[in-house]
Amino acid sequence: MFIHVFIYRFKCLIRDRQMVFWTLLFPLLLATFFYMAFINLNSDETFRPIHAGVISNAAYQQDQSFRSVLTDVSKGEDRLFNLKVASSKEKADQWLKSNRIQGYYFISGKELHLTVKGSGMDQSIMKSFADQYRHDHIAVEDILQTNPLALNHGLMADVSNHQSFVKETSGGSAEPNNILNYFYSLIAMACLYGSFWGMKEIIDIQADLSDRAARINVAPIHKLNAFLAGSCAALVILFTEILILLAYLHFGLKINFGNRAGYVLLTAFIGSVLGLSFGAFVSAAVKKGEGVKTAILMAVSMGGSFLSGMMVMNMKYLVAEYVPLLAWINPVNLLTDAFYSLYYYDSLQRYALNMGMMCAFIVLFCAGTYQIVRRWNYASL
Amino acid sequence: MPVFNLCLKIIRKNWISISIYLAIFLVISVLLSTNSAPKETHNFSQEKAKLVFISKDHTPLTEGFRKELAKSATFVKIPDNTEKLQDALFFRQATYILRIPKGFTENVLNGGSMQLEKTIVPNSAENAYVDLSVNQYWRLAKLYAKHEPQLSEKQLADKLSANFSHNTPIEMKAQIRAKTDQGFSMYYFNFLAYTLSAVLILGISTVMIVFNKNDLRRRNFCSPVHASSINSQMILANLLFAAISWVILVGFCFIFDSKNIMTPNMIYFLLNSAVFTLCISCISYLIGNLLGNLRNMSAVCNVVTLGPCFISGVFVPQQFLGETILKIARFTPTYWYVQANDEISQLTRFTWTDLSPVFYNIAVLIGFSLAFLALSLVVGKRKRLTDR
Repeated sequence: MFIHVFIYRFKCLIRDRQMVFWTLLFPLLLATFFYMAFINLNSDETFRPIHAGVISNAAYQQDQSFRSVLTDVSKGEDRLFNLKVASSKEKADQWLKSNRIQGYYFISGKELHLTVKGSGMDQSIMKSFADQYRHDHIAVEDILQTNPLALNHGLMADVSNHQSFVKETSGGSAEPNNILNYFYSLIAMACLYGSFWGMKEIIDIQADLSDRAARINVAPIHKLNAFLAGSCAALVILFTEILILLAYLHFGLKINFGNRAGYVLLTAFIGSVLGLSFGAFVSAAVKKGEGVKTAILMAVSMGGSFLSGMMVMNMKYLVAEYVPLLAWINPVNLLTDAFYSLYYYDSLQRYALNMGMMCAFIVLFCAGTYQIVRRWNYASL
Repeated sequence: MPVFNLCLKIIRKNWISISIYLAIFLVISVLLSTNSAPKETHNFSQEKAKLVFISKDHTPLTEGFRKELAKSATFVKIPDNTEKLQDALFFRQATYILRIPKGFTENVLNGGSMQLEKTIVPNSAENAYVDLSVNQYWRLAKLYAKHEPQLSEKQLADKLSANFSHNTPIEMKAQIRAKTDQGFSMYYFNFLAYTLSAVLILGISTVMIVFNKNDLRRRNFCSPVHASSINSQMILANLLFAAISWVILVGFCFIFDSKNIMTPNMIYFLLNSAVFTLCISCISYLIGNLLGNLRNMSAVCNVVTLGPCFISGVFVPQQFLGETILKIARFTPTYWYVQANDEISQLTRFTWTDLSPVFYNIAVLIGFSLAFLALSLVVGKRKRLTDR
């Protein structure tokens, strides 16, 4: 009997094209849009060699050391500048105006000047570079004043020695690619959209909510059995949808989930159960019509997605920082954070916390639904 | 005018879903207006990287170093905990985490090869920027220590601080800027595209779908009202709805950004958005003719509004979008609308040569409107002919 109900519920659910759109096609479409819009979002924080100019006047030609430093940093793979040498000030001004260079250096007298059009990271780097040259000069003069013999002890060699005083240590094995959070919260939203399947299950099993439910209630099958069979059908559909979404994200859009595929699938499964049980619980607890139930589910999943950074990325961080409680009771955030910790952290501690919290929610929702749904008799409908 | 009144009644019934979009729009506008504080553009200001400074070595030099670093970085206070630091890096609350190991100063001054540790957002410009300051400080410290070994650490720090107080003179080639800051207006009008599309499609298409119901249409055909009268009343009601929506949405701009109302740029923003409203009305008319029932309404509405907005630069500015995506986006009117807004926000002079790119974009929008209108008339006609 269980199998029978399961099969027919499955057919019944899968033919609801609207539901399939919202729980499968809509997340797929949104993922595509996200991909198209966000994939270049970090390009402005990436460092690219700065287009810098220098005016080649007599003073510049004489200043051997500045020339060599400047050409030095404009060479090679990790160069600082793409250097353009201008023959006159007018030429450089013209380049500056047409945005071909971000700024230009020129030497007048003994002083190095910088001309820019606005403030920005490129211009600040140009200024830092010029400052560096100036500070080197002052330091050399300074030292020679108190210790004129320094020249014989390799002072000039030491000045031009550009060793690095800082080395990179990575925080973890994964890159801090913040675009990923959009996709993680999208998966979480898709799981929570699964709550509509849960709602459908309740509407079709509670005799006071729909005609179909009234019919099922007079059938000679235990209500819990019918409900479980239906829920299993819904879960199979939802989990398959989430798997399709994950496959599309991973293989189609090349979204990185870290190296722990098994855990990612487990998270997707728990997320599906969470979405389903949440929908069932809300529609059992709220005694109003379908419109109100839908509105509540929609508000929770969209509001939750917003708070976990689906629309504004920093929102997730702000909530975790200033209202940590909200982060822990927001099911969308728990799921997003589970994917995030799987990708980003080497330890599984935070992941386990998120999963534990989700399981607690599932137990709460299932127990609540069970308490509300069981043992209803109707004198008339 | 019974048809006209009925149209308005249908739209009024729909006000809850429409007002949700309005509410979202209002919230975003408020956020935008609080974020767009005018920037000082006449003096050069040095950029500052967000840096977490963790020092296990406390010497006069590290203290001096911290002070120098403050010129190119703002210090973010985050507890020294791996996960917290990783979180901050991921969400860009900090882009550079610098750790000074114990005994670093002594080691460097004695010519050792100990290094500071940094955790960064890979390949970022801020990384290159901070690296310059970090290396410069310790390079000179080492230089002084080697050639003036008699200096104490305190004296060394003072010497460095005196040296670093010299700055490169910077000349700003003042740009000719718009009379007022048009940044807010641009974002506002760009975002308007999303809300306007959603509201108009919801409102107008719903009316069309209701009127296109078979029974209702047949009933209307046998009424003593002329078909052209029914149509013109319907179009009038839809246009009225579009006009009201436009006035309300544009009206909020005047409240949030009252100081920019009188700029000449605003006239072109208004013109552009009015043409866009017309264009979206035509699209809604088409959708109304194509869609058979109301159940699919919100799905279609979401896809048709969200899609173009994502790829045309409404949510993410166009300069961050890829070439290919922008090429695809050219097939949507939203792209041209956003283009025109970008052009308008940069206008400082209003001669024909300055304005021609704006008018070009607006002309494309009008072209789109005509195309959609023609298409929906054809679709409508076909529907009437095939339905016997």
